[in-house]
Amino acid sequence: MTTPRQAWARLVSFFRKKELDREFDEELAAHIELATQDHIRQGKALPEARRLALLKLGGVELSKQVHRETRGLPWLDGIVQDIRYAVRAMRRSPGFTLAAIAMLALGIGVNAAVFTVTNAVLFKGFSYIDRHDRILYMTSVEGCCVSYPDFEDWRAQAKSFEGMAIVHGVQIVLSDKNGFPEYYYATEVSADTFKLIGQRPILGRDFAAPDETPGAAPVAILNYGFWERRYGKDPTIIGRTVRMNGALTTVIGVMARGFYFPQNQDLWVPLVPTPNVLRREARDTWFVFGRVTDGITMESARAEMETIGRRLERAYPLTNGGFLPVVRKFHEFYIGPHAALIYGSMWGAVGFVLLIACANLANLMLARAMVRSREISLRIALGAGRWRIIRQLLIESLMLSGLGGFFGWWIAKWGTHTYQLAAKAPGYSWFDHVLDYTMDYRVFVYLVAISIGTGILFGLAPATRLSKLDVNSTLKDGGRGATGGGRGKHLSALLVIAEMALAVVLLAGAGVMIRSFLNVYTADLGVQTEKILTAGLNLPVARYSHADARVSFYDLLQTRVEAIPGVESMAIASYIPTWNVQRFPFELAGAPPVDERRRPKISVLIISPAYFRTLGAAVLSGREFNEGDGVLGLPVLIVNQRFASRYWPGENPLGKRVRLFEGNMPGPWRTVVGAVSNIAQNDVARPESNFLVYLPYRQMPYEGGINVLVRARVPPGTLGNAFRQEVHALDSDLPMFGPFTLADRLLVNYWDRRLYGALFLIFAAIALLLASLGLYSVIAHSVSRRTQEIGIRMAIGAAARDVLKLIFVQGLLPVGIGLTIGLGASLAVNRVLESELVQVSPSDPITLVVVSVVLILAALLGCLIPARHAMRVDPVIALRHD
Amino acid sequence: MADSKLDLLQGTLDLMVLQTLETLGSLHGYGIARRIEQVSEDQILLNQGTIYASLVRLQQRGWISAAWGVSDNNRKAKYYSITKDGRRQVRAERSNWERLAAVMGRVLAATGTGGHQ
Repeated sequence: MTTPRQAWARLVSFFRKKELDREFDEELAAHIELATQDHIRQGKALPEARRLALLKLGGVELSKQVHRETRGLPWLDGIVQDIRYAVRAMRRSPGFTLAAIAMLALGIGVNAAVFTVTNAVLFKGFSYIDRHDRILYMTSVEGCCVSYPDFEDWRAQAKSFEGMAIVHGVQIVLSDKNGFPEYYYATEVSADTFKLIGQRPILGRDFAAPDETPGAAPVAILNYGFWERRYGKDPTIIGRTVRMNGALTTVIGVMARGFYFPQNQDLWVPLVPTPNVLRREARDTWFVFGRVTDGITMESARAEMETIGRRLERAYPLTNGGFLPVVRKFHEFYIGPHAALIYGSMWGAVGFVLLIACANLANLMLARAMVRSREISLRIALGAGRWRIIRQLLIESLMLSGLGGFFGWWIAKWGTHTYQLAAKAPGYSWFDHVLDYTMDYRVFVYLVAISIGTGILFGLAPATRLSKLDVNSTLKDGGRGATGGGRGKHLSALLVIAEMALAVVLLAGAGVMIRSFLNVYTADLGVQTEKILTAGLNLPVARYSHADARVSFYDLLQTRVEAIPGVESMAIASYIPTWNVQRFPFELAGAPPVDERRRPKISVLIISPAYFRTLGAAVLSGREFNEGDGVLGLPVLIVNQRFASRYWPGENPLGKRVRLFEGNMPGPWRTVVGAVSNIAQNDVARPESNFLVYLPYRQMPYEGGINVLVRARVPPGTLGNAFRQEVHALDSDLPMFGPFTLADRLLVNYWDRRLYGALFLIFAAIALLLASLGLYSVIAHSVSRRTQEIGIRMAIGAAARDVLKLIFVQGLLPVGIGLTIGLGASLAVNRVLESELVQVSPSDPITLVVVSVVLILAALLGCLIPARHAMRVDPVIALRHD
Repeated sequence: MADSKLDLLQGTLDLMVLQTLETLGSLHGYGIARRIEQVSEDQILLNQGTIYASLVRLQQRGWISAAWGVSDNNRKAKYYSITKDGRRQVRAERSNWERLAAVMGRVLAATGTGGHQ
């Protein structure tokens, strides 16, 4: 039993080796002299006395060794010795060492980078929120929308939540003595928002219930960065008033540095429900979040929300029909419902990359083992135990993987940084600051763990193989024992097979992901995106309460914008192309009546007359809207081609009549005056279900956000300033979103898929590179080992063709087996990706064929270089080759 | 048994060394080895070198301490002496050992008389 005191003493001794050795030398010398003199005193002659003294001592060297082992840490001494030995071995073959470290650094680096990213996305979330994984985010139907009365019902009825709060992002104009009036992003929140997430202002006070009652004096809490930028961290800001959208507002608090929730914002204000907000049909871009009570699972909280949603649907069929709550975890809400799948597959992909690197390394080690089998046999012959040999070889591979991990850390750092730049959504992102990509201790632990795991994984097979060397035959036959024999070759072929199979699965997975992305990217949207500039406007109800005021604002804007040189036309629309469009129940004239709850729904866009012209869509029959389609004119409607052919197949849609419902209130019967080409809305990936109808803005001059679309003869990006000036000339206080070119705006639809596609492409490229390198090195090595045999074959008359055949068969056979296994496996693995794929089958034959061809070409290339080398072998030299 | 020397049981050497130091006070390694040989009347097979491993063990446990001194014939040598912890240890080990010896004696005696052979 070792006491801590003893362990410490041993550790100290380990580091004082020289000193203690010297001391013990002296002590032994004294011992021998004392003993010798004793023997002399008993009458022995000096040489005999000395001999007896040494004999009784039992040998000087042995005593020293026992002493050293007892006082210090012999196993550590052994390891230090092994490390020295490994360093010498690595120096002897710098090429191998560098290649191994590079491969490992790449494999470990991408793994650590993906771990960092995945950790940030799937697990860290809002890292500053106490137990953020207990927070659920709720909307109704995809991403939209919750009404305030819904929220109040949810909060009152749900038992699974400690509390719930509602959130709404707004843009405000802020003016005070510290600078010009400017637009800022504010978040309207329930008063107990900060309490729910366990945060408090670092300065001033939190919101309290009275702050959110109608008629309360307006208050605001500032974001730290905003406080720093605009007020130079002046603490006297607390209690001062500023003007927000014209209203005097008291600043009551400042939040901690780096705190944002639930999005990027400059300040928070209480959400005070106005009569308009309190209507159940008033759905805006709200969402609700709640903290799930301890001991209740996320699943049961979700289930309860669904029950409540169904109850509300029954109670208010007209406003709540189809608006069931959608309850999401952090990553499902912020990244997307498939976040776990995508980041999980990414993790799987880099795991495969690392495994391929391992297979390569194992093969290289095995090849090297062959060269070194003589040296190792010698060590075994000299008495090194089996475990000793394994340990020493494992230390070598662990040192390689350790160095790989060291450089991998820097690769991961660079990779994470690059990812962060690439993953930044184009334009304004509402959660840029949320994700935390710092490489903290968890990443470090992960990196150390995979480095060690990798070292053991690729080191173990060669080590056990070598430790079983048949010493006699190896020493006799010049070191061919380790892998020259059948089993070594089998192991090597097995590794090639595994490597190929892994590469096929990875490449096939990446392939379908990339195809799927291309399908989305190249989908026909039905508009000429490259010529269009867009901006978002929202006329404040206070100043534009009359529909006429809104209509005339956009009329005036159109006149002014169309006068800008380079502008062809301007239109407004409730949604820009590709966006999700709100759907309303509708009825066709003459159709049999249906139960009001079963009424079909249709996506409805509200547009101005020049809309189709501006987007470059074709009017297939009838006409566009015009200035006459106003309140006094006949109620009209335009349908897209898909709608027409679905509901009136083979008939002329013009003159048909349709009416829309708001709740169960039927609108007027509208006459179809035109049919237009299909413009993509809703789900770009599913154009076949894209049925649309258009209403004229003059007949539906709704309150709320409008998108302005400008068609330009010049590159649309150049018109931004002129456009902004025209808007400000009409209303200098009007917040504007943009302008952006439509192409940039649409990137939002693709950037995530493009990002994932690019990442999978990179991982696939690394895997392909590693697999080809691995194959090349295995074949090259086996050719160089068989130089003598090839020489003999050629000397006795084998043609170059036969030699080539020999090499290719040997090289390509495992490739073929690996390919077959990989193709089979990828059919199973790709099925996991199915939900992410757009118009491509998980077993897409084109992808599989391309992947196979690419890998076979890589393998051929891997065989070709050694084969050319072998063909040039001069039999005379080859026969001398050992 | 008479002409072959006794092999040392694991751990017994440490106790012998401790006991020697307790009886004789400060002593160098050779002195300890000689003393044990004399007391055992040369019945023990002792590689004197192994004394030093035992001394290291005891020192690391804090039961003995060491200091350089000068021997009778003016030779520089390392002297060991028992510490307070060491004395406590020796007492504990001794009573342990005596109990064990007594038990062993009884067991062997019982087997000798009541055996089935």
